[in-house]
Amino acid sequence: MSIKKIFEQFTPDEIADALVLPVKLNAKQRQEADKHLAAHREKRRAEMTEAEKLNIKLIQLKFQLEDYVKQEEYNPQFSFGYFLEQYLLLTNRKKKEFAHDIQIHETQLSQILKNRREPNESIMIRLELHSNNIIPAIDWFKLLEKEKGHQLKTNRSLRDKESGYVTRSLQLV
Amino acid sequence: MYIIDRITNERHLVHVLPIENDDFKKLTVKRYSFNWKKLRNESVVYKLKLVNGDDILGLIGLVDYPAEERTEIKLLASSAENMGRGKKYERIAGCLIAFAGREAVQKFKNYPALSLIPKTELRQHYISKYGMIDAGWQLYLEDLPLLNLMREYLS
Repeated sequence: MSIKKIFEQFTPDEIADALVLPVKLNAKQRQEADKHLAAHREKRRAEMTEAEKLNIKLIQLKFQLEDYVKQEEYNPQFSFGYFLEQYLLLTNRKKKEFAHDIQIHETQLSQILKNRREPNESIMIRLELHSNNIIPAIDWFKLLEKEKGHQLKTNRSLRDKESGYVTRSLQLV
Repeated sequence: MYIIDRITNERHLVHVLPIENDDFKKLTVKRYSFNWKKLRNESVVYKLKLVNGDDILGLIGLVDYPAEERTEIKLLASSAENMGRGKKYERIAGCLIAFAGREAVQKFKNYPALSLIPKTELRQHYISKYGMIDAGWQLYLEDLPLLNLMREYLS
């Protein structure tokens, strides 16, 4: 459809609601447009507060976590402890300070960070509240669930042990 | 991410995926406003579909400018039945723009931004609809305005 036809058929509001139209700029105009944009962004960046910068970093961590949870493959590096450690680094919190922030014992926090202890639901909710709801408890829960799912799928010794308790299994073709 | 059926007011989950070569056969100018084949070599094209469906309801073409930590929206189209007063679903363009913002935020670690060059007549509409910032020729989203848009559409 030609641009002219689009403007004949729809109001500007309807167009902005459904389309981004192609705009052709010549090299000089393009250069000028990019220069203006860069200058505008630089000014904004200079005025950005530390809290705003942290906001972006936390969103990036949330997206990284969500994308990992969504993908099929399990990656032992991306454990609960790994993401929590990244969170501490971004928020510039020492272990002792963070443990105090969410009112858990420092030893408990260390064990969670080293994946030696499983966080309970209360801790995941405290993490959500600490991040000002940027990383919701459900994201932490799904991360933990992915780890547990992998353990369940790959735990051969438990299968061997439990097979002793199944005296008769279904006979299927 | 969801769109809303304007008649039933029902929410329908959608996802945005990279376009596949076979899709281009379906992308007619009549239904998707532009010749998308022309764009395939100069930008990365994504399609928006219902999670429980195969029909393409919207398209977006993106170009990255890594040195500027910026992604530019070259072109965006909702399908013909989703334009104007009689449109079937709300939020298609918003979801596509928010998706593009998410891509930028993931790719560019420090100051990610999303931009577009608007037609003059549409400038104010993009500003009021999507919270875009006016930078002369171009409009853009970054930091809080970008996060606000993602919050609204990516949930």
